[in-house]
Amino acid sequence: MALLEVHSLHKDFGGLKANDDISFNMEEGELMGLIGPNGAGKTTLFNCIAGLHPVTSGQIIFGGHDITKFTAHEVARLGLARTFQVYVASGDLTVVENVMVGCFMRTRASSQAKARAEQILKDFKLLDLSDYLLIELPVAAQKRVTMATAVGTAPKMLLLDEVAAGLNPSEIEEIMATIRHIHNDLEITVMLIEHVMELVMKISDRLIVLDSGRKIAEGTPNNVAKDTNVIKAYLGERYVQEHAAELA
Amino acid sequence: MDILVSSLFAGVLIGMVLAIMALGLTIIFGVMDIVNFAHGEFLMVGMYAGLLTAQGTGMEPLLTLPVAAIVGFLLGIICYFGFIKFLIRGPMVAQLLGTFGLMIFLRNLALLIFGSEDRALHHGILVDKSFDIGMGVIVPATKLAAAGLSVVAFVCVWLLINRTKIGKALTATALNAQGARYMGIPTERMNALAWGIGGGTVTVAGALLVNFWSVNPFIGLLFTMIAFAIVALGGFGSVPGAFFAGIVVGIITEIPGIWDFFTYIFNVGWMADVPMTSLKYMWVYLAYFVIMVVRPRGLFGWKR
Amino acid sequence: MEALRNAFDFSDFPRLDLTIAAVVALFLLTFPAFPHSAFAMATMIQFLMFSLYGMGWNTIGGYGGQVDLGKAQYVGIGAYTTAVMLIRWDIPFWVSMPIGMCFAVIWSFIIGYPLFRLKGHYFAIATIATSLVLKDLFEVWGFVGAAMGLEISPIKYSPPDFLRLIFKEDIYYYYVILGFFFLGILYVNWFRRSRLGFQLRAIKNNEEVARSLGINVHWAKIKTYAIATAFVSLVGSFHACYIKNIEPEDTMSLDISILIALMAMLGGAGSLWGPIIGASVLIPLKSYLKEWLGAQAGLIGIDLIIYGGIIMLVSAVEPRGIWGIVEKVRRRKRR
Repeated sequence: MALLEVHSLHKDFGGLKANDDISFNMEEGELMGLIGPNGAGKTTLFNCIAGLHPVTSGQIIFGGHDITKFTAHEVARLGLARTFQVYVASGDLTVVENVMVGCFMRTRASSQAKARAEQILKDFKLLDLSDYLLIELPVAAQKRVTMATAVGTAPKMLLLDEVAAGLNPSEIEEIMATIRHIHNDLEITVMLIEHVMELVMKISDRLIVLDSGRKIAEGTPNNVAKDTNVIKAYLGERYVQEHAAELA
Repeated sequence: MDILVSSLFAGVLIGMVLAIMALGLTIIFGVMDIVNFAHGEFLMVGMYAGLLTAQGTGMEPLLTLPVAAIVGFLLGIICYFGFIKFLIRGPMVAQLLGTFGLMIFLRNLALLIFGSEDRALHHGILVDKSFDIGMGVIVPATKLAAAGLSVVAFVCVWLLINRTKIGKALTATALNAQGARYMGIPTERMNALAWGIGGGTVTVAGALLVNFWSVNPFIGLLFTMIAFAIVALGGFGSVPGAFFAGIVVGIITEIPGIWDFFTYIFNVGWMADVPMTSLKYMWVYLAYFVIMVVRPRGLFGWKR
Repeated sequence: MEALRNAFDFSDFPRLDLTIAAVVALFLLTFPAFPHSAFAMATMIQFLMFSLYGMGWNTIGGYGGQVDLGKAQYVGIGAYTTAVMLIRWDIPFWVSMPIGMCFAVIWSFIIGYPLFRLKGHYFAIATIATSLVLKDLFEVWGFVGAAMGLEISPIKYSPPDFLRLIFKEDIYYYYVILGFFFLGILYVNWFRRSRLGFQLRAIKNNEEVARSLGINVHWAKIKTYAIATAFVSLVGSFHACYIKNIEPEDTMSLDISILIALMAMLGGAGSLWGPIIGASVLIPLKSYLKEWLGAQAGLIGIDLIIYGGIIMLVSAVEPRGIWGIVEKVRRRKRR
């Protein structure tokens, strides 16, 4: 049985079809990339799965439970965690306190939450930053802290929203290692939205491509890279026509 | 039956004055997203301004409106440049507390200067005159004039906002301050203008009100809460909303009369014992609460 | 048991802070032994009361970031429950106070559920609205003495009465409220390290993120609001026995609500010491300003003018409060 099943998901905002009849499955242990040009509906899809938006129609099944109508915190409690791409924070929590918030989902005792948080931070090589506020850290470290916080909830699956955005190449390497660690060592199923192609192509088992709200391709990175529909979506109809020969 | 009609009519009349009072609050909120807890205190200042001008110069009270408007406009602008513009940099919590501080400051300044006794206007061509509009309803001329002038003021502001260039600049700033700035609209000046217009309209309301409502330094809070209820009902930021909501809230304040009417109709004993008059503002506060929980956008609101 | 350990664990504070706290605690314990005027004693009792009010408010308002300006209604519930129970049925403080807390908490759940659907200034205004509604109701309700309020006449009882908390000398009241004060500090210390405390802080940080971490935001806010209410109601009950004269205008007015919020805001919302620092500045300031300035004829209101001015100054210059400044300086030094 697949860990995550999405059946004919539709999400409309007024007249705009942000997600148009999206269906796919994810098996436990996969690392799936969700790509597509800007405005394709990737973050909307995440938000629908994670319970932030009510879906217009369709069904989402996670670990055998129908989570279509679940709210964000119910989804999280079931074991589906996520990170956010951008958010405004009032910034009162230190790094370790941030991760502890995640850990508190699984325990009531603050000593346990602290111990677990410190363990995760050690794992992520962030332990010496424990007492800093998030805003005091460079962007790359902030992203890794938010990932660590989500891991604190001991999820079965983690949705990562553009964690590599705005990072330089060495930071991207670092993030990639963190994602691999989460996926391979912590055995968490991962789905990530990414625009940084070098990361997502290298790391994903499978890819799903969205364009203008619809799923236009699905498959291994190699196959998807050669798919004319995908190339058309990114580079336009004319490019495909002009380069028809080499793409065949 | 005439209790009902006269209550409703009185409610509509006072509602119009309350509407113009609340208009300033909705404009400031629309343009700057800041809630002015000292709003009622501005009203109080307007009332004193109207009172003192009329008493000092012997002028016809209803002609003191321009004076009140100028006082209010200046007060708004001074508050903006002297204080408010520093508040908006901080968290919302600070803004709330800050305008509260302003409220306490103004209230006690008035106490210091004017003393705590009630004061009212007793002269003018309209005092002690009333109109009989039939159905046994008698309306004091002052209230009728006040309502009429409120409508005029409303129309003026509406024209200003919708038909003048500066009004459109104001609306642009309200909708998207950043974007307006890129268009070359000076946001700082728009903010100050919002406070100026906001202050000016509420002091005019005060000058109108003082013709039939006595003033003391402490009445501010009540009117602030009434203004909030009106703005919530009408929709934060909406000018026509403030007008219609004002009338509704005005009618709510006439609940004692309406209650008496139904007491009479149904002839139920316990209804006569309910001290509705003391509780009439309670309904306004409840209205705010219920509206915000049930329909936060209000009637015409575009901002949430 | 870990909860108790947490309550007493102050180890994450810097040594300097703890030393100062210990000195202050010692001073508070021994204050009555120093020569003092009755006025100073009364001010100290007010200081302890408002510290407690502020500590309670701080849980939902400071750590949680939900600015509640309607706490006065719970002062009223606590005060009136104790007063009514004493006057009509001779029920001692130690029974009526918990009952008052129950009423207050029940009421807080009833209005909390719809209330917390609102945010920001809409929420703040709604809290004011609910408090004013209750105050207006109390002003016409004969059972609680309507606008005239209630009076506890000490003649009927023989002080010192520890059951009913009726004393002739303030020093008894002082130590009772001091006891509650220390308990309050322990409670808040537990709160800030507890799961609920962390949830609140996450909510203040960013509600959506908090939800994505499994936090039921609505429920967490309601629970914390109830805690704040319990604090306020407790002190309200004490207030009734101490002041012995309560009426809606005094006990349940908006000014009281603002004052309560101000303790934490000035001192530093979201920190353990904040409300205490705030109270230590505001209460003596208010008392002494009133003494020196307010009494002089022709200068009525000047104390509150200064008071309002201070609020304005703090909000414009350092909205994080005094403790916020301290923490900012410390962080900068660390870098």
